[in-house]
Amino acid sequence: MSVIAVARLELRRLFVRPLTWVLAAFTLGELAWRFILLLGQFLANQIKLAALPGGPGYTDLVAVPMLSSLLTGGLLPFGLAELALVIVPLLTMSTLAGERSNGTLPLLFASGLSGSQIVLGKYLALLLWLALWLLLVLAMPLSLAHGTHLDWGKFAAASLGLLLMLAALAALGIACSAFASHPAIAATASLMLGLGLTIVNLGAQMAGVGNGAVNWLALSTHLEPLLRGLVSSVDLVWFALLIAFSLMLAIRRLSAEKERG
Amino acid sequence: MPNAVLPQDILEPDLLRLDRLSRHRAGRPAVQDLSLTLKRGQVLGLLGVNGAGKSTTLSMIAGALRPDSGTIALNGEDFLEHPERARRLIGWLPERAPQWPELTVGEHLDTHGRLRGLNGVALKQAREAIVERLELGPLQRRLAGVLSQGQRQRLGLACALVHKPALLVLDEPANALDPIQVAALRTLIREQVSAGTTVILSTHLLAEVTAVCDRVAILHEGRLHHDGPITDGDHKALEQTFFDIAMRGGDSTPSADRSRAA
Repeated sequence: MSVIAVARLELRRLFVRPLTWVLAAFTLGELAWRFILLLGQFLANQIKLAALPGGPGYTDLVAVPMLSSLLTGGLLPFGLAELALVIVPLLTMSTLAGERSNGTLPLLFASGLSGSQIVLGKYLALLLWLALWLLLVLAMPLSLAHGTHLDWGKFAAASLGLLLMLAALAALGIACSAFASHPAIAATASLMLGLGLTIVNLGAQMAGVGNGAVNWLALSTHLEPLLRGLVSSVDLVWFALLIAFSLMLAIRRLSAEKERG
Repeated sequence: MPNAVLPQDILEPDLLRLDRLSRHRAGRPAVQDLSLTLKRGQVLGLLGVNGAGKSTTLSMIAGALRPDSGTIALNGEDFLEHPERARRLIGWLPERAPQWPELTVGEHLDTHGRLRGLNGVALKQAREAIVERLELGPLQRRLAGVLSQGQRQRLGLACALVHKPALLVLDEPANALDPIQVAALRTLIREQVSAGTTVILSTHLLAEVTAVCDRVAILHEGRLHHDGPITDGDHKALEQTFFDIAMRGGDSTPSADRSRAA
């Protein structure tokens, strides 16, 4: 029950903060623009594409590229995955660092809550908000599903990949917030770590190296197969490990803070 | 407003027992070997100059800070072993009454009630009762971030009382209150005591202690230097003791043993 009480508190704080609404409005507007551009390209090339046997369809050219630029590149606005690298740190920055700067963290400690209950409650609230955000984004390509041939399996795999990415970034953001004295420091650290995880294998990729530890470490290595419709347990385990490691760090930091005061 | 979370008959006569409590903060001893017992229904005034260890002591009693050594027994149970049970028994108003600026007064009360184990109808009734008692009705939909200092203090008090605790821990509760609000606070404390609540009140105002407390403990440099009952007309004697301890430090250490309350 205590975890639920913390989650309700955090969810309420998220929903009454103007920043949350501004971020939601801006990102949904930007993604709607991306959707229209992708749809325009698809419609312009529809006759050529129809002539190709087994050629790419609505799922490959509109629905999945909505979610990430990993598969599209080009001059299109950012996809959801790229926006998440910025949005999630801004949402997570206040979770614990904000409590610390408000002086409200001792109130939570005094309520008999353990470090793990506080961290899990806050994580749960963030996941709910991010899942809602993802659902609103997915609603755009889904709105045309009745008039097109949507590859449901591929689309579900891509959506799962994005959900896992959001969950991992949220856990990373909470860990940064647990260590930071001020929300701005937490946001910066979380942004840098998220970007670092995304581009850590860029050099290896440019050198033509497709495997190895650096590639395994990169977020893109595990997101890309999911975006292509391939659900592999290795990728799922990588996301689970990142989430567990980040939350563990946050819990340990908070428990130590309760001890130290 | 009797205690609804735990009926009086299952509360121990010695509600709180601190045994050789010590705590370091910022590399120096903030509280050292502090032992005292608080009986049910007592009002203990914790006096001391700034940095005497009052807030550290209250933070440990409230469960926000773990002691380096020593034990805290609440209602006969080790506080650190049973934090879940302790949270229902204690209400805490920290110094400066920290709040979430983006939540309304009503949301604060709901949150504190839920964190202390109240839900559903019980939470609704508890919130309505404390809103009525502290006259927070017109402020219920106002954000905590826009409240005046006095209103924030009243909200902090309401949050500490919403679950009807058996032990009320107040850290400088009269801060930022005007004389009328101070008088109302004293009335509230007396009401709580007559309903069976035990109160610990930290302050550096002697008048506050003599007005509402029946016992006083004086801390200096983290140590207990005086612990005794307050009787009518004791203000001058208490003032003398306080200044002796504050000026001469450890000279009056033995008085803690001499005058320890039964």
